[in-house]
Amino acid sequence: MFYLEPKIVSLKDVTFSYKGSKRQALRGVSLDVKEGECIAILGPTGAGKSTLACVINGTVPRFIEGKLTGDVVVDGQIPNNVGTAQMASRVGLVFGDPDTQLFGMTVEEDVAFGPANLGFDYETIMERITRAIEDMRLQGLEQRAPHRLSGGQKQATAIAGVYAMLPKIMVLDEPTSMLDPEGKARVFSIIRDLNKSFGMTIILIEQEVDDILELADRVFIMKSGEFVLGGTPEEVFAAVDELKEVGIRVPSIVEFGNLIGADKTPFSVEEAVSTVKSGAWNKAIVGDAPIEDRAAPGLSVGSESTQDTAPILEAVDLEFRYPLGVKALDGASLEVYPGEFVAIVGQNGAGKTTLTRHFNGLLRPSAGDIRLFGKSVLDEPTASLCATVGYVFQNPDEQLFCDTVEDELRFGPMNIGMDKDRMEESVRDILLDIGLDKYRQVWPRYLTKGERQRLALASVVAMEPEILIVDEPTTGLDWLESLQILDYLERLRKEKGKTILIITHDMNIVSLYAKRVVVMANGRVVGEGTPREVFSQPKLMELAYLRRPQIADLSDTLWGEVLLTPHEAADRLKRSSSTNREVAGK
Amino acid sequence: MIVEYESKQTPIHRLDPRAKFMWVVATIIISIIWTDPVYLFGLGVFTVIIGFMGDFPWPKMKGTFMFLLIVTAIITLIQGATYLPKVVWLANPERVAFYLIPRWIPVIGPAWPLRIGGLIYGICMALKVFVVLIAISVFGYVTSPSEVVQIIVRLPFVSYKSGFVVSAASKFVPVIQMQLATLRDAERSKGVDFDSGSFTEKVKKTTSMLVPLFANALSMADTMALAMESRAFGYSKNFTLIRPYQMQASDWLMVVFSVGGLVASIVCLAVFKLGAL
Repeated sequence: MFYLEPKIVSLKDVTFSYKGSKRQALRGVSLDVKEGECIAILGPTGAGKSTLACVINGTVPRFIEGKLTGDVVVDGQIPNNVGTAQMASRVGLVFGDPDTQLFGMTVEEDVAFGPANLGFDYETIMERITRAIEDMRLQGLEQRAPHRLSGGQKQATAIAGVYAMLPKIMVLDEPTSMLDPEGKARVFSIIRDLNKSFGMTIILIEQEVDDILELADRVFIMKSGEFVLGGTPEEVFAAVDELKEVGIRVPSIVEFGNLIGADKTPFSVEEAVSTVKSGAWNKAIVGDAPIEDRAAPGLSVGSESTQDTAPILEAVDLEFRYPLGVKALDGASLEVYPGEFVAIVGQNGAGKTTLTRHFNGLLRPSAGDIRLFGKSVLDEPTASLCATVGYVFQNPDEQLFCDTVEDELRFGPMNIGMDKDRMEESVRDILLDIGLDKYRQVWPRYLTKGERQRLALASVVAMEPEILIVDEPTTGLDWLESLQILDYLERLRKEKGKTILIITHDMNIVSLYAKRVVVMANGRVVGEGTPREVFSQPKLMELAYLRRPQIADLSDTLWGEVLLTPHEAADRLKRSSSTNREVAGK
Repeated sequence: MIVEYESKQTPIHRLDPRAKFMWVVATIIISIIWTDPVYLFGLGVFTVIIGFMGDFPWPKMKGTFMFLLIVTAIITLIQGATYLPKVVWLANPERVAFYLIPRWIPVIGPAWPLRIGGLIYGICMALKVFVVLIAISVFGYVTSPSEVVQIIVRLPFVSYKSGFVVSAASKFVPVIQMQLATLRDAERSKGVDFDSGSFTEKVKKTTSMLVPLFANALSMADTMALAMESRAFGYSKNFTLIRPYQMQASDWLMVVFSVGGLVASIVCLAVFKLGAL
């Protein structure tokens, strides 16, 4: 049990099972949070983090039914006795998807929703709106329709709506999971203000480890409904092996600090630079740092040039305008070569999805050409193109149609008229490949998000396309699930020679898997190269509102070169240290 | 296509929703009772002026207007050929304007005479359709669904929850439409060809999307309900109306103008036959 005084949240031996389920979503969870503290809860999907959030604000078990045991006291109240709506003025809960938590027709109306429900008078509501809009930096957007805002602005509006109720505690359940890098930065900056400037108690459930390092006073790791690690960020992130076992990505700066045996674990680029420059690290440990050790085992970083062959897919000066008048593509050109692993990056609205949806005919350009194996395919229907260009959508729930996992894999091949024997063989192999063999007769909806995402991907792979386009394959997944998806794609590329295009916001994934990065902004391809080349161009990154991985920032600051993994950076330090010693020796 | 509400600061947007509601109701009733195309044209011009004052995006209605133009042209021709009203101010409403099957077609021509009276009546019907459509579209463009809720909740014996349900449901429609489009694209990406096959096959292809569509909608509704609960929905019976609408001079002006116009048009029609054919 973790204990601090004065505590605003106190959970003692809390256990919860959802109605109709024998499995315990929470198993003997104990936690004390003191007023004004910021705690971060990390863990794989299905660990019980969201259930815990709902226990704290009382929606479990009053709204979401089930069996709750143990003691829960929040701001002096027992949520189960008080009721959710009454708890709302004490505990604010913000979810990951802003679209499901915006109720007003304008930002102002949405922010007013909570206080209006509480029955405050008009003047009080207007005061609260003004304050929330100002503090969440939404000035000028008061009369804008929420659904027309950017992802970051939408989530800021959702937070403002909760903030306007002036709760003492704010629980944020993966608030940045659906945002692009710019949106994430905005939301984290707001959370920092809520805690540091306005003194609000923050309980932050996250997958983004890099951003919580400087923010959280304490970090807890959940797995299978219980806390398996907890303490200060220094204490928790020092336990690298335990974190990897749970499936939490160790922040690259922390891993670098551990690799070089830093006297004090660095949590920011500045701290890491200071550690290196002051020599506060163990030179003997660096000498043993294995260069090839990687966060994603078995893969190699670097470029594999395939551009000496003819392109398999070409987009030539594509232009496209949506019916409401938004010009989404403005002369976008791209060449893709056989066997490449290409990552397309850029902020939301840059045109990434619009561009790739042209490749299998889902969208048709108003100008320009699409060539497959050198031949224009503008007149080819999607139903025939899909046998060569597979497209996996972002949300698995929008592309699973059948009653069983097995039938889902048959759906595409049957539509394109694949030979039955070949189809059955392919289905059997794929089920084993993606680890869903034991679920072949299960309704896809019963699978976890990670499993559904793998199934969605496999259902397209089953059609045996040459090119596979995967739109944001890691959204809403934990690090381990993300690696499973990306490892599978990399295997398809290496073993079956498939050409892979992914759209992603995750620069760590880009670092580890992409052989070429295509940067998009304002409907155009504005830059491309290996991850190293792209991360070495600050102006390009700025133009596309991208943030390179922290380790790239660190290596650039220290040595003026971009490195992609903590091990590379540690090895670079070792080499520079040896050189310095040699120079000193001479 | 019905034009979606847009938050703007035009004089019409700023009007109290009750004033806007009175205007649209008065316009619809007047357009129904008037049968004289000259009067209806005047009403149409006034409605268009209100639309311009509300910065209504006319180009977005182009497709709808084109479709209506064709439909109303057909209505006008059919009315002109089949119905002959008594037109007060027309000396000879029975006079033939032209024949649908002209005189120069041998054997069957001339046939289906289009009489002036019937033609005027057809134009009148077409104008009615246009006026009502424009008035409703402009009202929808300048009045947010939450303002409609504000109107509903001010009605006696209606709880704000009912009003909110109407508002939430209206916001759900475009979300479902987008979901449907994505599901359709996902099926197309797996080789489903919606353009080929018999009617039964096409229906079968479409129905396969229904399960994920409803499952996703339910899941979304569930999260939405949780988010509403977390923001104290239903905490107090006294939901504070976000805008405590107070009728300003401009609102009263619109109400007086609308109600006055309605009463005047009824009286003038009943007593002096003004507005009637």
